[in-house]
Amino acid sequence: MSEQRLDAGDAARELAEIDKRQVGVIDAVLVPRWYWWAVGLLIVPIGVAADSHQRTATAVIAVLIALVIAGLSVWMITGAYPRARINSATLGGAGAIYIVGFVWLVVGVSLVVAFGLQAAGIAYPGTIGTVLAAVMLIVGGPILMSRLRRSMVARAAAGSR
Amino acid sequence: MTEPRFDEVIHAPTRLAIVSLLAASRWADFKFIRDHAGLTDSALSKQLSILEDAGYVSIRKAFVGKWPRTSVSLSKEGRAAFKGHVSALQQIVASAGSSLRAG
Repeated sequence: MSEQRLDAGDAARELAEIDKRQVGVIDAVLVPRWYWWAVGLLIVPIGVAADSHQRTATAVIAVLIALVIAGLSVWMITGAYPRARINSATLGGAGAIYIVGFVWLVVGVSLVVAFGLQAAGIAYPGTIGTVLAAVMLIVGGPILMSRLRRSMVARAAAGSR
Repeated sequence: MTEPRFDEVIHAPTRLAIVSLLAASRWADFKFIRDHAGLTDSALSKQLSILEDAGYVSIRKAFVGKWPRTSVSLSKEGRAAFKGHVSALQQIVASAGSSLRAG
């Protein structure tokens, strides 16, 4: 069908199809919800170990968990995770800043809380700090992804125009 | 605003799906495009050849370990043609809206 024979309805359907395909790419490259749960739950044992005051055990657990998280991330990116890279115009400069900022916020808040509790002489500061980090990741991660998704969908639509 | 230019190469439904996927991506793996566009390997290869002949996509073949991997990206010309096509579609929709209002 050429342009001359294409009516407004067909053109609108074609535009809707373009949007649908672009949203499909964005949904496929966003970090899935299970990842935030996995990382959140995995970091809690580090805090529990830190509260046990057994340095060797804490170091071993921290290294093992870091390896598991790294492995999980690599597996997600190269295996289960679909193989496409979103373009920078769609992600936007703010997208990368949001992700890095969120990670730093979680690390910063949980460290400040843990050391603050320790200084105040409250029991289990490490556990409380990592549980707080886990909650922030499990709740905040999907919220961050949802906001990123919205801005990327808008950018993809604008980028096609 | 991009110059409206209806593009017959992009307009075909399967190629529209492929180009739309690639427009949001820096690059995409062959399997990713195949699965998301709902095509068979041979159908996708055929459509990619047409797009490559038109200068709209770049196809890169590499080995990851011993596994071959094909990645595809939209060329500068392909991105410009896609934008022009989208603009042409919008113009058709907009002009139909104006005709209705005028009528």
